[in-house]
Amino acid sequence: MPDTDPVLLRHRALEQIAMVALYGARVMMESGARAQVVHQCAEMMAHGMGAERVAFRSGYASLVITVTHGVNSITRMVDVGRHGVNHRLDLDIRRLAVRVAQGGMGPAETQAEIERLVRDTPRHPPWLVAIAVGVACAAFGRLFGVDWPGFAAAAVAATIGQYVRHELIVAKVNGFVIAALIAFISATLGEIGAMLLHSGTVNLALMASVLLLVPGVPALNAQMDIMEGSPTLGSARAVTVIVIMVFVTVGVWLAQALMGLLP
Amino acid sequence: MTVDVAHIAHQAVFGAVAAAGFGVLFNFGPRSLLWCGACGALALAVRTLGLDGRWSLEAASFVAAAAVGVMVRLLRPQLRQASSAMALAGCIPMVPGAFFAQAILGLLALTTPAGTETSAMIATTLEYTLRVLFTVGAIGAGLTIPIHLMRTREF
Repeated sequence: MPDTDPVLLRHRALEQIAMVALYGARVMMESGARAQVVHQCAEMMAHGMGAERVAFRSGYASLVITVTHGVNSITRMVDVGRHGVNHRLDLDIRRLAVRVAQGGMGPAETQAEIERLVRDTPRHPPWLVAIAVGVACAAFGRLFGVDWPGFAAAAVAATIGQYVRHELIVAKVNGFVIAALIAFISATLGEIGAMLLHSGTVNLALMASVLLLVPGVPALNAQMDIMEGSPTLGSARAVTVIVIMVFVTVGVWLAQALMGLLP
Repeated sequence: MTVDVAHIAHQAVFGAVAAAGFGVLFNFGPRSLLWCGACGALALAVRTLGLDGRWSLEAASFVAAAAVGVMVRLLRPQLRQASSAMALAGCIPMVPGAFFAQAILGLLALTTPAGTETSAMIATTLEYTLRVLFTVGAIGAGLTIPIHLMRTREF
């Protein structure tokens, strides 16, 4: 087929398709989606915008896509930012991918729609998240035997911890440092609170206070990614989970040392 | 085997509260939070039933996660794309975070200069570490197997 064939998408058009598909994939990755879902989403978007063939690779810190149309092919890469969990944004991008895959949406329109979703998808207010997380940690504590005074102490400590964590995330503090700091603050508050309330399960209340830091979604995503054919990303997630827990433990250990529980 | 209904109900209620609370952190919508709570309640009820029946924590966690995975697959017409994420949120209260912290605290204690029963400490720490690994593995496998066996064409 001659290179001047107007039916073929030129490199410039393919580049736009690649970059927009990568943008959607990056938002999904930062929203806590599994690798397989991110791959599927990027492929649907790229095909919907006109690419014939799509190859995709996901790493923990970057995503790579190759889109092809006729004899033209282009490969592009994008960085991935902080890995969080944002279910509503994840779902909205998936719905958008379905719409784009049906055809009729070009790169510019798709990019504008992703930007709108990132900007407008509602989030719960930080104070509500803090209270919900506090109650969740305390409920978690009840599951492994925390008594009612310990429940109250863990709820307050985890609520304060989550609020401070939110502020530190907004201030773009390193995630591992945040884990150690919040573990220290929440564990100290949980322990003091449990002692003041005469809890019989002070140590369990302390543990319940820091459960907000346990990276449950990345831990389960790591395993699912490995099972679904993305062992590199899954391993990176698993290592991140382990290092976060090491930093959490440092915070708890410092809190216990401060309270004189360690020899 | 005697079934302690009050204990199962207690675990289910607090499992639901924990799952819904973490659902808020994960930015689930208001309606989805109710489903998160339902998944958490089912997971903890099944796991508690298993533990009361003297199953190991790992086996009970596997069956509980599989039960949640099957439930969200059967309810997929109502839950749509959110089904897998809800199952995952429902299983979060089963992640043994306290065991993980205990395991690493045990490792830290091994480095203290004196006073610890080293062999007993190593055994306890190893036990906690293995239980964390196997329990997280069991939850992941329990969630993934039904999702793949009951796969649909819908994205």
